[in-house]
Amino acid sequence: MMTVLQQGFASPLTADRALEIADAAVRGSAADAVEVTVLGRTGEYTRFAGDRIHQPQDITEVTAMVKAVVDGHAARASTSDLRSVAETAQRAAGLARELAGAANRPGSVVVAEPAQIPELRLRHDDTVAFDAGRRVALVRRAMDGARARSGQAYGMIGRALTQIAVANSAGVSVEASATEASGSLTVAVDDGTAHWIDLHRSADALGAEGAIDATLDRAVRGRGRIAVPDGEFTVVLGPEAAGELLGFLEAFGFSGDLAAAGVGVCAQNHGDRLVAPTVSVADDALSSYGLPIPFDFEGTAKRRVPFFERGVVGEPVTDLATAAALGTPSTGHAHIAREEVPHPVAANVVMEPGTATEADLIAGVDRGIYVERFWYTRLVDRSASTITGVSRDGCFLIENGRLTQPLATGRFTQSVLGFLATVDGVGDTVRSQPVMNVWNGSASAPALRGHGFRFGSRPLEAGK
Amino acid sequence: MPSDPSAHVWGELADDAVADRIVESALAVADGHSEYADVRLIEAEEMRLYTQVGADPDERLEHSRGIGVRVLVDGAWGFASRPLMDREDAEVAARQALASARASAGVTAPVKLEPMSPASGRYESAVEIDPFTVGADVRQCLLDEVLANVSRSSSVVAAQAGLNAKRQHRHLGNSEGSRQHQHFVETGGGVIATASGHGDVQRRSYPNSFHGNTAGAGWEYVATLDLAAQAVRVGEEAVALLTAPVAPAGRADVVLGPQQVSLQIHESSGHALELDRILGDEANYAGTSFIGVDDIGSLRYGSPAVTITSDPTIPGTRGSFAFDDEGTPARRTRLVDEGIVRATLSNRDAAARSGQELTGAARADGWGYLPVCFATHVYLEPGSGSLDELLDRLGDGVYADDNRSWSIDNRRWNFQFGTEVAYEVRNGKRGRLLKNFSYGGTTPQFWGSVEAVAGPEELRIFGYPCGKGEPKQWGFLSHAAAPVLVRDLRIGVA
Repeated sequence: MMTVLQQGFASPLTADRALEIADAAVRGSAADAVEVTVLGRTGEYTRFAGDRIHQPQDITEVTAMVKAVVDGHAARASTSDLRSVAETAQRAAGLARELAGAANRPGSVVVAEPAQIPELRLRHDDTVAFDAGRRVALVRRAMDGARARSGQAYGMIGRALTQIAVANSAGVSVEASATEASGSLTVAVDDGTAHWIDLHRSADALGAEGAIDATLDRAVRGRGRIAVPDGEFTVVLGPEAAGELLGFLEAFGFSGDLAAAGVGVCAQNHGDRLVAPTVSVADDALSSYGLPIPFDFEGTAKRRVPFFERGVVGEPVTDLATAAALGTPSTGHAHIAREEVPHPVAANVVMEPGTATEADLIAGVDRGIYVERFWYTRLVDRSASTITGVSRDGCFLIENGRLTQPLATGRFTQSVLGFLATVDGVGDTVRSQPVMNVWNGSASAPALRGHGFRFGSRPLEAGK
Repeated sequence: MPSDPSAHVWGELADDAVADRIVESALAVADGHSEYADVRLIEAEEMRLYTQVGADPDERLEHSRGIGVRVLVDGAWGFASRPLMDREDAEVAARQALASARASAGVTAPVKLEPMSPASGRYESAVEIDPFTVGADVRQCLLDEVLANVSRSSSVVAAQAGLNAKRQHRHLGNSEGSRQHQHFVETGGGVIATASGHGDVQRRSYPNSFHGNTAGAGWEYVATLDLAAQAVRVGEEAVALLTAPVAPAGRADVVLGPQQVSLQIHESSGHALELDRILGDEANYAGTSFIGVDDIGSLRYGSPAVTITSDPTIPGTRGSFAFDDEGTPARRTRLVDEGIVRATLSNRDAAARSGQELTGAARADGWGYLPVCFATHVYLEPGSGSLDELLDRLGDGVYADDNRSWSIDNRRWNFQFGTEVAYEVRNGKRGRLLKNFSYGGTTPQFWGSVEAVAGPEELRIFGYPCGKGEPKQWGFLSHAAAPVLVRDLRIGVA
């Protein structure tokens, strides 16, 4: 049976077909300039809860998005029907023409120039082999292990193929297709819970079996939770909790739109040492951690963008528009999310690991708190880099260098940059997690040890 | 103005005969191999126009058409989705769904659905002016005026104004004989100003801090927003917040405005009452609920002033429909009645597993994703009186509205919310503007401290996007609220 899209576990289109569709739409457009981005994803997800695989899902998605530029004004039209990309290009050109007609001045939108695209290893055969049978076996391991401990397991094990192809009227014509394997697990035993999450281009790199077994054991150890005491603590954040903090860096000024508006750390503190010298973070699409990808929606080659180099403030991520406003080349971070204005997005944030094991970090704490996972973290005050959220799963008191009493969920309110300024220990093992609402987005971090982390809901003094 | 029937005639899936052929071909593949199957076909088109100070306007028109097939094989669910391009795509999706179910069979505790009588019919949003016929010059002219008005002060360093419209044909057919075609139209807009100065950055938005506000209506809704005039106030307030005193900390009596109450409903009522969460289906990601199955019918959730209803039959909202995304007919459900939990937001699977009533709250983010429990149009029943009367009853305290920060734990118990604006209230009169107002507590504490709710004349409706599931999908829904008076609230927590 022939269909436009490939069937089974394959990228939605062959590389040649994706480029053929994009190139044809570029050639057929009547706009001054045109850019065609084809995005596709084939995902298979085995989601389970308690004693059921309750939501197995095979999801294939594809869209062709055409950006047409007329008199410097751009409009986009997209379709999931790849038979009608030429008509979609005409619609985009028509919309751009209307926008240009309604405007009182020429616009400034441009398309990317061709450039050397970095070579990355994006496809892994072990992920292609990570089929439903193998995923179900892992699910069974988690379910059976939880049952043997009088508990329950919940989570999702998945694999996907992500595809992007970009062609434009300046001569860009690039395609990439990448495998992705992911696992997440919550185990509950009585009131004890533990969590694991990781993702990688390679399924083997997840180490899923070992991670499942360790999570089962931590859940047992987490029984008998007590309330998190109010106060400021030395904390050891596990890789997932640390990665959650990294997701906020963009909001503190590491994006081109904020920098162009003069808001945030890149605009106001470029070159200053704002956090501890133990902290080096970059948006690094070329890293082997997380979800590397070689170019963005505009076809611009990605590069490593340093946010903090040994604590010193670096640069923001940009797309063509914000790069022009800043007078710099685009870093390759164009992004469009649902219900949002297109703006540059940090999509593969990676913190450099250190040399300490998590046990080493804990051993250096007389009294503190170990946090495995944060939940529902939200920005409270951009200028103070303050966020709020709660701890969730696998949290413990640290006493005399050892994990002791398990802790229940506790609320925290904390300046992220304030905390990063206190980091004196960085773990040697990096784990990755998806960043929601970002296409192919991930954050990767090691465990961190820092000080003065504030738990509790007591009212603050005014102005503090 | 009468409804415009032409607003519903667009796209390939406007034609029932075309849609029926696709539905039947998918069901035919599942027939004989599954104990239940449903097929959803959705064709959607969404227009978004954004303008920002100092940037070129950005317009996009997104079209998609696809199929999602769900099957139950030997008690195991399977689901597959793909874009619709070829006649064969429906059959491919159905075969994939069967394979996905078979992979789980024998591992999973069997699902037993309660049979449901076939429900068939059509539904269309009432649209006076088709938003897709409004010219670019009209849209652009409006947004130019909004941006000019919101950014009059040089302290406004970033401002954004936007308009959006979406139309979608949603067809559902299932193996029980249901055949449904719904056509939804939604339209919205909004403005956000960011001001910077005096060592501070502040944001102000209108009419909702969540991507503007969207209603189940046509362009006529945008006219009711009065965006250009409101933009002046939004810009001025963003600047005024820079030098406003920080809101106090401690405990206070507070009147919360309708937008912030709608957020409180969303986070602490809507999500807490999703039956799939209550049963643990979201334990790994979105979380669970402090409410247990055994609590339904008896748990004291709030004060007698608190009655919360789910009613997708109310027209004109983002949560309005005639059938949910697994074909259950829409119905009005009293979720919380005078403070007592009476029912949940449920789908067929969760209702069958727990013995709870089926309330028709299965929602899915387009054709690509499985239906899960999401809010519909869930609102706080109004009480009586005006906002001024409520402030008078408050006496001394704080009036706050328009959410700027929201966080709640994975059981929907411990929350901390902040608002864009607050005002000191003395002797029932609004006084000084305050910034960085926040409040926190636990869900039953908060709702238990609600003394009064303003009347229907103060009721406002807000459309929301929402996230849940793995992989994460969006839900689109609505909440309505009038201002509420809450006594002895913990404030200034962040």
